Amino acid sequence: MTIRFDKGTAVVEGVCGPEEALELLEWLRGRKTPRVNLKACDHLHTAVLQILLAVRPKLTAPPDDPFLAAWVAPLLVDGRG
Amino acid sequence: MTPLFERFVAEARELLETAGNGLLSLERNPQDADGINAVFRAVHTLKGSAGLFDIPAFVRLVHAGEDLLGAVREGRLVLTSSHCDVLFQVFDHATAWIDAMESTEALPPDAHDISRRLSEHMRALLPGAEPGPIPAAAAALAVEARPAPDIVVPAWLIQVPEADRLAAWRRLSATGDALVVGTYRPDAQCFFSGEDPLLTLRQLPGLLGFEIEPPPCWPAAEDFDPYACLLGFHFVSAAPRAEIEHLFRYIPDQVTLDDAPAEILAVPAGPRSLGPVHQDFADSVRPLLAAGDLIAVGRSVSALLEVSSPQSREASALRWMQTLLAVPQPSRSWLAALVDSLLDGGVPRPLMAPVDLAAPATEAGSAAPLGDTARALLAAQQRMISLPCAEGEWDGRLGAAGRVATAVLRASGQAAAAAAIGEAVAQCRAETSAQPLFVALGRLVDASNAPPGDLAKPHDETVRSVDFRSDDRTATRVLKVDQAKVDLLMTLIGELVVAKNSLPFLARRAEEVFGSREMSREIKDQHAIVDRIAQEMQGAIMQVRMLPVSQLFQRFPRLVRDLSRKLGKQIDLDLVGEDTEADKDVIESLGDPLLHIVRNSIDHGIELPDDRLAAGKPASATIRLRAYQEADAVLIEVSDDGRGIDADRVRQKALEKGLIDAERAASLSDDEAVQLVFLPGFSTATEVTDLSGRGVGMDVVRSTVHKAGGQVRLQSRRGEGTLVVLRLPLSMAVTRVLVVESDNRLFGVPMDLVAETVRVPGHQIRRFKQSETFVLRDQVIPLLRLRCLLHLPACQQHTDEEAVLVVRVAGGTVGIVIDRFKERMDIILKPFSGVLAGIPGYSGTALLGDGQVLPVLDLKELV
Repeated sequence: MTIRFDKGTAVVEGVCGPEEALELLEWLRGRKTPRVNLKACDHLHTAVLQILLAVRPKLTAPPDDPFLAAWVAPLLVDGRG
Repeated sequence: MTPLFERFVAEARELLETAGNGLLSLERNPQDADGINAVFRAVHTLKGSAGLFDIPAFVRLVHAGEDLLGAVREGRLVLTSSHCDVLFQVFDHATAWIDAMESTEALPPDAHDISRRLSEHMRALLPGAEPGPIPAAAAALAVEARPAPDIVVPAWLIQVPEADRLAAWRRLSATGDALVVGTYRPDAQCFFSGEDPLLTLRQLPGLLGFEIEPPPCWPAAEDFDPYACLLGFHFVSAAPRAEIEHLFRYIPDQVTLDDAPAEILAVPAGPRSLGPVHQDFADSVRPLLAAGDLIAVGRSVSALLEVSSPQSREASALRWMQTLLAVPQPSRSWLAALVDSLLDGGVPRPLMAPVDLAAPATEAGSAAPLGDTARALLAAQQRMISLPCAEGEWDGRLGAAGRVATAVLRASGQAAAAAAIGEAVAQCRAETSAQPLFVALGRLVDASNAPPGDLAKPHDETVRSVDFRSDDRTATRVLKVDQAKVDLLMTLIGELVVAKNSLPFLARRAEEVFGSREMSREIKDQHAIVDRIAQEMQGAIMQVRMLPVSQLFQRFPRLVRDLSRKLGKQIDLDLVGEDTEADKDVIESLGDPLLHIVRNSIDHGIELPDDRLAAGKPASATIRLRAYQEADAVLIEVSDDGRGIDADRVRQKALEKGLIDAERAASLSDDEAVQLVFLPGFSTATEVTDLSGRGVGMDVVRSTVHKAGGQVRLQSRRGEGTLVVLRLPLSMAVTRVLVVESDNRLFGVPMDLVAETVRVPGHQIRRFKQSETFVLRDQVIPLLRLRCLLHLPACQQHTDEEAVLVVRVAGGTVGIVIDRFKERMDIILKPFSGVLAGIPGYSGTALLGDGQVLPVLDLKELV
């Protein structure tokens, strides 16, 4: 598991593969103001990414990974949470 | 072999089968839209899955096939039989390669050449393709390569650090390569083929930046299918085009690549600190640029750069001017655009198509269709302004959208539309509503002159594939299991049956040796229970092993099609009773005989259309394969309405070949004469064709069917057709044998050979020299002794009566003298393996309940 659900925050660490997508989606569906922490995330599978883009949880910590920080995180910062 | 590869092998076989069958029906009915879609989808999926493995030759071949099918699907190409021939070749090679990869985990050495040759051939068939070979490497993406007049600066390029852009610029200006602007729209199902588009972008060589294109509207949370890829990507890369093509080599259809001038990298970035000095600079530099005095321009730029704060946007613009000036032939229009950009803070846009861009000059206001990239950008602006945002940001966002849209349109040569956008922005500001711009952009994006939109396509596909997946969920629960696992289960159940059979022996021992009758009874009770369960298990596993004969029949449509095309005959194939089931082994053993019979029928039986018409038959012949069940046997009939078998010719031929003597030939009825074709060494065809006559005669058909415990019958009427009936047991797993005793040893004889058992009084046995015979119901039957056949010591005791087993072997009746008859038994026959495999006279062994081994005789070999 590279996603840890810590109260209202999904903490994504390491390389997050497609197998995590369904669980993340279920978790997000069940929450009013979900938050996501990508700090230690090295890569998000596209399936996981598009869930985040669709649900737009609040990004509590941007990723350290330069690629994600440059091209992916800006899409998530104006989350609804 | 990895589990993933195993699955691929199984899936690929299935897909190739679907594609092959689909193509067959498509050939007959080329207008069938569902048909072409099915074939296309199968090939498309196959290509996708194959992309997971390092088998480029395979992927390329399948991809070329997909392109051909794609052209047919889009109506650009009319499917002909010669196209089908090529596609069948592709499927055949692919199937062969799958087989090869399954055993050796590598493509055959000639795969590369075949793949190249066939792909080139198919590309040449595509509409608009130049005749002659296309270099293989270029072929993959050659279709997409085209000049792109509508390239615009992706607005997000500004987010790429200036240093990165500068480095890319230097590399490009050194090599003279163009910048690559690409759009990557992954297939909705791409996750299933192991793709991760974001990871692909990470690996994109020379990636400067990219933008994610979300779907026009996200599905509601409850309908959201996380495994359908909804995203698209726009990227810019400074790597040579070939490297990018290499990355996307397996999915070229999902990517469009356009060349863009490297100058689009020159976007000034940084906080603005515009002062009067900049206006002065612009005023002095513009005439210099117009006059072409670039050295003076360079001096002015350097001078101003020295006094500018390095972090400012102005300094950035100046640095870019310096960079642009450093190349041998600087683009003046871009330099001028940078000067404008320096002042107005917008994205640099050369006012007219720069001469060094080699773009076709489009007249202002002409409605040249917008390119994909342009439309995507306009759509992105439309989305941006439709998103809710804070009050303070609204104006800025509106302005930005307007600027990008205007720039896009101007670059596409649509000055009128660009002006309209400007007006719409003004109207928006007046109404404090984004509606006018939204509508104006929408009109441009969906403009009717736009080719059927790539923009809309991914979404449509998403919708469709989502539906498709939801269908999948309700599909019947079928488990795919490796045959070996079922076979193992079968063997284990067989052993259970044998183990169970030892219980009665144990019961007897309990009673006789240990004197406990009660114990014996309990064991017997338990035996009855275990026996019942074992029988049910056996029945259940038999059901699992049952396969429909359609498995057997499915190869024939293709075979008939190919052969009839080759021979110029018209043949309809009629398949009846495909649902009839039989044991897997039976089905498998029938494959080759059936193939041979059908081949024979096509080759020798069916006449040419003209001959048929002359004989008063329809030009098109019919071959019917019919399967049905009768008691515990499955029957398969192959009938045709061809010329039938000429009984006289068969007689003559058999005589010539010395298979029968003249007397016998004369005495045979026509029906009997026809059966002579089953004799070894018989072949009526005067010429050997490459269809039948491969040295495999009907005798092999008969012996194969016999080996599987079945029978063959042939009926033929001259001029009317031929009927071959194969009769096989439903299951070969359990063999019923009669146990006989000779020299105190037990032997099994398959029941289906035993005609009857008789006791013959010694005086009725007549001797002719070495041979013994006896008369059974007015028929003289040769008599053999099992002890002699097996070289056992001759019986010393004299008996008045001999126990004789009357068996039917090799078309004749033979009596076999044995010592004693024992009981009948269902056994699971195990053929000899290893060093025992070569022992003649036995077909295998079975284990008896008391642990004895029962050898089962192969009477055909013995007699």
